[in-house]
Amino acid sequence: MKVSINWLNKLVNLNVSIEELVRLLPLRTIGLKEVTKNYIELDMKGYNRADLLSIRGVAYEAATITGSNILFNEPQEAEFVWNQESLPEVKVDVLNLKLCPFYCIAKIEGIKVDKSSEDWVKKIEASGMRSVNNIADVTNLVMLEYGQPLHAFDAGKVSGRVSVRLASQGETLQTLDGKVRQPDTSDMVITDKSGPIAIAGIMGGKETEVSNYTSSILLEAAIFDPVNLRQTATKLNLQSEAGKRFQHGLTKTRLLQALNAAIKMYQEPGGKLTAISIVGNSQDQQKVVNLSLSNLNALVGIDFTDKQVEEYLSRLYCKPASYSSNGNVVWEVTIPYWRLDINIEEDLIEEVARLYGYEKIPAKSLAGEYKPKGDQKQFVLIRKLKDALVSLGLTEVQTYSFYSTRVLNALGLTKEKADKRLVKLANPMSSETEYLRESLWPNLLEVIDRNVRLDFKDIAIFEIGKIYYLNEKDETSEKYVLTVALTNNTDNPLVELEQIFKTANQKLDLKISEDLEKEKGANLELFHPTRLIQLKTGRGKTLGRLAEIHKRVTDKFSLDKRVAVLEVSIVIASDFRNFSCFL
Amino acid sequence: MEDKIRNIQTQYLNKINQAKSLKELDGIFLQLFGKNGALDLLPKEFSKLSSEERRKVGPLFNQVKQDLEKAINDKRGVIREETYQKLADEKLTFQPLGLEARKRTGHLHPVTQLLNETLDLFSKLGFERFDAPHIDTDEYNFELLNIPEGHPARDLWDTLYINSKIKNQKSKLLLRTHTSNGQVRAMRQLKPPMRVMIIDRCFRYENLDARHEHTLEQFEIVYIDKGVSMANLQYLSEYFFQGILGKDIKARLRPKYYPFVEPGAGVDGLCIFCKGKGCNVCGGTGWLELAGAGMIHPQVLKNGGIDPKEYSGIAWGVGPERMAMLKYGVEDIRLFKSGDLKFLEKY
Repeated sequence: MKVSINWLNKLVNLNVSIEELVRLLPLRTIGLKEVTKNYIELDMKGYNRADLLSIRGVAYEAATITGSNILFNEPQEAEFVWNQESLPEVKVDVLNLKLCPFYCIAKIEGIKVDKSSEDWVKKIEASGMRSVNNIADVTNLVMLEYGQPLHAFDAGKVSGRVSVRLASQGETLQTLDGKVRQPDTSDMVITDKSGPIAIAGIMGGKETEVSNYTSSILLEAAIFDPVNLRQTATKLNLQSEAGKRFQHGLTKTRLLQALNAAIKMYQEPGGKLTAISIVGNSQDQQKVVNLSLSNLNALVGIDFTDKQVEEYLSRLYCKPASYSSNGNVVWEVTIPYWRLDINIEEDLIEEVARLYGYEKIPAKSLAGEYKPKGDQKQFVLIRKLKDALVSLGLTEVQTYSFYSTRVLNALGLTKEKADKRLVKLANPMSSETEYLRESLWPNLLEVIDRNVRLDFKDIAIFEIGKIYYLNEKDETSEKYVLTVALTNNTDNPLVELEQIFKTANQKLDLKISEDLEKEKGANLELFHPTRLIQLKTGRGKTLGRLAEIHKRVTDKFSLDKRVAVLEVSIVIASDFRNFSCFL
Repeated sequence: MEDKIRNIQTQYLNKINQAKSLKELDGIFLQLFGKNGALDLLPKEFSKLSSEERRKVGPLFNQVKQDLEKAINDKRGVIREETYQKLADEKLTFQPLGLEARKRTGHLHPVTQLLNETLDLFSKLGFERFDAPHIDTDEYNFELLNIPEGHPARDLWDTLYINSKIKNQKSKLLLRTHTSNGQVRAMRQLKPPMRVMIIDRCFRYENLDARHEHTLEQFEIVYIDKGVSMANLQYLSEYFFQGILGKDIKARLRPKYYPFVEPGAGVDGLCIFCKGKGCNVCGGTGWLELAGAGMIHPQVLKNGGIDPKEYSGIAWGVGPERMAMLKYGVEDIRLFKSGDLKFLEKY
């Protein structure tokens, strides 16, 4: 959200400098993305403050955190343009009140399309948007100030009754961006006699777009179900400023104010309101949330007085009504309609804490003692293994949890084989991240290859990390594995690796035994036919292997070096209670 | 010209068939395709041909070129297979333990070093490790953490999903986007009071550059007890920064929204470069945003089977890679998982 500083100054009488406001905003409200001399950009990503998507909302917030006064009044219902005279209705049917709980549409006639005034253009540009013409600019200016998206149809191009409903099978629509869209039966559309004229809340149709010849418009202000609208926007890959506001949530009170403001702005280029329909209950639900002083003080760790709390609440435009309960003060707090994010006591506690200033909360050490309750053996073993291997001269590496295309190729895993054997992502960033690794050694081989190209000749590395696989029931599983890879410029690196293994085995008293019996398994073409040793626990459970990588695999990397690997599964190892490091 | 091409074909196919080593094949490849090789020179003569002849010779030439290339590759395969067969004659040999081993200097990965320091710090306060899966359900990663489907807060995490063809649980499978997927699990298993640390990699749909990774480590603590407050959060933040970055690194809390905490906090550390004066690294503010935290949302406590009227808790998380970048002066986050020994041997 880009907030024009000039505009903001017209809505709030700041009693501090802009520099001070810029300093306070991140400490009291929200992080800033960018500050220029024209605007302040709030970092709204993932935020829940729907009210901050309007300059009026930001003005209230700026007033709250600085103790300043706002410079605007909110018009009451009786003051709205349409309540000044009796007007006919625009013919509209809202056929799905669940997905469109509130829908207003106004007909405005006699407008002269023109360039916008300099003042409007400045406001729009300082807010990071572009000026189009006076009709479109009004919808954007009002959206920026009030947070309520509006859409203007060319009334001359809309025929018959307007309907608000779910799209029917096979309906299509050319949207403003020129693309032909095919909404499905879970997407809300606005239609006329001829079919869809807009995808509700997301984008209007080309057919009914306002042009230089437009003289009358149908102005729409609505609330659509945010979750449904988000799904449609994601499906059509259409994210917009309007869509963002629908998804964060809107209020009926602000919607009516916005509609009223837009109609007034259209009066300047000759527009006159000639018909209007308002469908749905126009009252926002009033929220009352309880706040207890003792709960507040316990969660923040500060002793607030009831005076302090009441001052903060009134700065927040909340209306607190206090009562005493067992010596504790409790407030029934009426929440201002625009604060959709305040729903529970903890939300109010955050409000009080942030107005006090998070940064002033003193540090308090943890009370009491604590002894671990869960099994820590696996973690202890992993750390001991790492330390032991480093002391034996090995270097720890970390590789991705994926198999790269080079690795897949070296393992002879065609797409077909990989699909069957490996855990696969539905939406990988690229083919390099499509499959999860089921062993670590292929990734270590890739690391060796990379370093051989950097002129390393003697390489001894290890990684401890998770591998991912499909178990007997075809379910995804994962476990920690230790893998060592060694190339030492000899044609038999396994000799040295076996020594390293024996040393570590002895040092950590792991009691892993070597078994020379030929391993039965599908992957044997990946290992040297004779240089392969199975590793087992004292009870004969298979733990892993020591092996030279088959030349067939290293050749695929064009790696002209013999490489030996050790792999040991850590999950099984931790089941095995004879490890001295656990004693 | 046709004959000339066919001659080259016969002559070289013979040579290829008789080759006995990969080296010999490399030689043949150069004679054919190298600069001034037999097939490299031929097209220069095509310009002298009539257009009718050229139409005949062109396709033939391309065909022969392909055939010869394939023949060389096939033969390479055959020769390799022969050497692969000979591997069976190689022996498995051992050396007795105690024989002089090669001397190397080993290195612990910089992120492991940072994590070890972090673990040691929090272990002193009694915190224990808790492991949570990398492949998890939408339920543990999102739903139980107060992030329902369709909530704008999901924009915070660009999620990688597991191919749905794999039959498993009811809930959608994904690669966890944060270690917070362990929060509700830990609550259900350990019961309060609890002090746990959840560590290891998380995944995001993110394109790589010097500051963005799709695979990143997280370190998270979950602390639940009676009377836990934001003052404890301030303490833990300061304890961490001072332990890892230096005694003079103060912590500062700011409001920040995460759906699974309320109140939520961003945690700044005093900029380690300018110590608060304001510099390029901290954008002149004197502070660096280093961690995310908050008081565990009552709904999340309830989802973990804990009564929020009785207990409160803190969730606090930090990115070890980012901390390591600051502490060790690493400029490119991709280096951590590159396996580049020139980089790793510096630590």
